[in-house]
Amino acid sequence: MRNLFVHLFYVITLVMEKSFYSIFITFFKVGTMLLGGGYVILPLLTSELVEKKKWITSDELCEFYALSSSLPGVIAVNTAIFTGRKLLKTKGAIAAIIGIILPSFLAIVLLASILNEIVHYKSIQNIFWGVGIGVIVLLFLAIKEMWTKCIVDKYTIMVYIICLLLALFTKISPAIIIILSIVIGVLNCQFNNKKEEEND
Amino acid sequence: MIELYFQLFIQFFHIGVFSFGGGYATLPFLYDIAEKFNWFTTSQLSDMLAVSSVTPGPVGINMATFAGFTTSGITGALIATTSIILPSYIFVTIVSKILDKFKTNKYIKSIVKSLKPAGCALLSAVGVKLLFTSNLHLIGSIMLIVLILAGIKIKRDPIFILGICAILGYILGIINIIGV
Repeated sequence: MRNLFVHLFYVITLVMEKSFYSIFITFFKVGTMLLGGGYVILPLLTSELVEKKKWITSDELCEFYALSSSLPGVIAVNTAIFTGRKLLKTKGAIAAIIGIILPSFLAIVLLASILNEIVHYKSIQNIFWGVGIGVIVLLFLAIKEMWTKCIVDKYTIMVYIICLLLALFTKISPAIIIILSIVIGVLNCQFNNKKEEEND
Repeated sequence: MIELYFQLFIQFFHIGVFSFGGGYATLPFLYDIAEKFNWFTTSQLSDMLAVSSVTPGPVGINMATFAGFTTSGITGALIATTSIILPSYIFVTIVSKILDKFKTNKYIKSIVKSLKPAGCALLSAVGVKLLFTSNLHLIGSIMLIVLILAGIKIKRDPIFILGICAILGYILGIINIIGV
């Protein structure tokens, strides 16, 4: 009898641990393979979560991704939390978070310590001069990609221009500008509602 | 020390709440922090962005970890990373509970539609500021234009672009053109 309980307990812990552990490992894998911006995350998650593990369907993943990109924060992390929550509630979410940020954390801490040591060398400074230009290139390419995704009509152009002018020529903090755009969004919705009522 | 940690928490938590539009969206906020506090400089920020783009993991998390580490070592990195994720966790938990309402609500649709251009505008402003504050010289400006065109026409591959820039920087440094 005692043996049976021990056995049962062992099986339960194994199953529990395995799912927490496997969620962690899967997202750790995604984290290490995620290189160069969040734009590769969708194909990567499709191959890991949908095709290999079959934890979620492709439609669910697309929905999670769309929701994640309309929420604040890092898109990859948001998607990980959505998926983790779906699999194992809070526990799953925590496993997914730890999994996806651990590779970042380890790599950056290691690199940052090395960087502080070598940054004084002349040749390293030259390399960083070049890389500094590369960063601006990447930034403008990212802006271009965002632009094609989110600037779709006159209204979005207007919001873009207002925010750009505020960010360039005033000392207003980015957070205030984001809040302002939320206010504009609410006003725009009310305006559209009124127009619809008048049409009816 | 506790005060610094608390400040770090507040600042990175607020980045987590307000940054919209993926990886690079944290940059305007970090730029703002660099101007307000003396934790790191804007030129350090550009180095951080370069390293974050070629390191495994989401760029936003890499940047936060790096900025936290530069501010106050491993503890700073831990605090920065945790506090930038905390808002995500809260938002996702709320949204997955009210999923259907969230998807169909008119107001939320309209807000999301105006948040994205705002995020893009903030990033554009940082791009312009970086352009005017870095010492490009003539040869750097040529590199910039050629690479942007190449990135648009051919492929946007961060490792490739940064690799070319690093090699060019090294060579130009040897023949002493840029005079850093």
